[in-house]
Amino acid sequence: MNIEIWMTIIGLGGASFAIRLSGYLLASQIPQDGMWARALQALPGCLIASLVSLMMLNGTMLEWISAVMVLAIAAITRKPTLAMFAGMVIIAAMRFAIA
Amino acid sequence: MKQSNNWYLELLLGMRDMLPMSVAAATYGLAFGLLATQSGFNIFQTISMSALVFGGSSQLVAMEQLSIGLGAASAILAGSALNMRILLVTATMRNVLASRPWWQVGLGTFFATDASVALMQSAKPRNMTTSYWYFFGGGASLYVIWIAVTAIGAIISSGVPNPQAIGLDFAIIAIFVATLPGMWRGTKDVLPWLLASGIVLIWGTLFPEYASWGLIGGAVIGAICAGLNNEH
Repeated sequence: MNIEIWMTIIGLGGASFAIRLSGYLLASQIPQDGMWARALQALPGCLIASLVSLMMLNGTMLEWISAVMVLAIAAITRKPTLAMFAGMVIIAAMRFAIA
Repeated sequence: MKQSNNWYLELLLGMRDMLPMSVAAATYGLAFGLLATQSGFNIFQTISMSALVFGGSSQLVAMEQLSIGLGAASAILAGSALNMRILLVTATMRNVLASRPWWQVGLGTFFATDASVALMQSAKPRNMTTSYWYFFGGGASLYVIWIAVTAIGAIISSGVPNPQAIGLDFAIIAIFVATLPGMWRGTKDVLPWLLASGIVLIWGTLFPEYASWGLIGGAVIGAICAGLNNEH
């Protein structure tokens, strides 16, 4: 088990760095304007939207309600940190109320 | 490329703006530290994994594969599959890393995580979207915190209060949801975002074992959709 753990740590570490470097190297081949440049500009938003969708895929009703409230608070206040802490308080309060 | 003599100020600003994401990631890192110890990792292995891989979900999945006896090759493959999305993260950092010396590109990409994309939202109003040191500061501070909380988790692997009771487990979801309004560029984002989310949800429902590939597919197809739309 011990040697397997170290092999995994080193192997996955190397693979992760190769993935990270490849992303930049591939993107640097893309022209500065045109279709692919527009796609690259839209990528951060699409990536976060996808990530949130994946996280919410198996979310409970309480998590969905809290996520919608976090989104509303962030959209109104434009303060992500405030919205994050508000979300934690909201979900903790709802869990406490139900328990 | 943005040139600045105040590189250290940009670095400090990046560290400061990364704080909310660091708080959220800390809860995840703590959980990894706790679980790793319970799965048979010693503290050096736990810290080494966080230091070399620097990807929460990837580390957790690799560890799980090992603990059920699937072997190193399977663990590396599964962990890499989950980290494939970072390829898209470093792709978005093209303008930050362009024209930098090779060692800075290496370090800049090494510190890239999902949180780097969230940091872009804070970078916009500060006019730091192409500042290398801003993203370096943010990434490096998250890295140090990640390793520290992993170590803390491994040390105090028992007697931790229930994180769900105080909503800690929700922090990582909440911070990414909270960055969405800042990412919004107007109605031109409606279709790409709906497409990206729809693909993730449908793929994840149909193939829950391979849900992380849906994330990559959704983000790429959403971005291509935005690229095909020539309206500005």
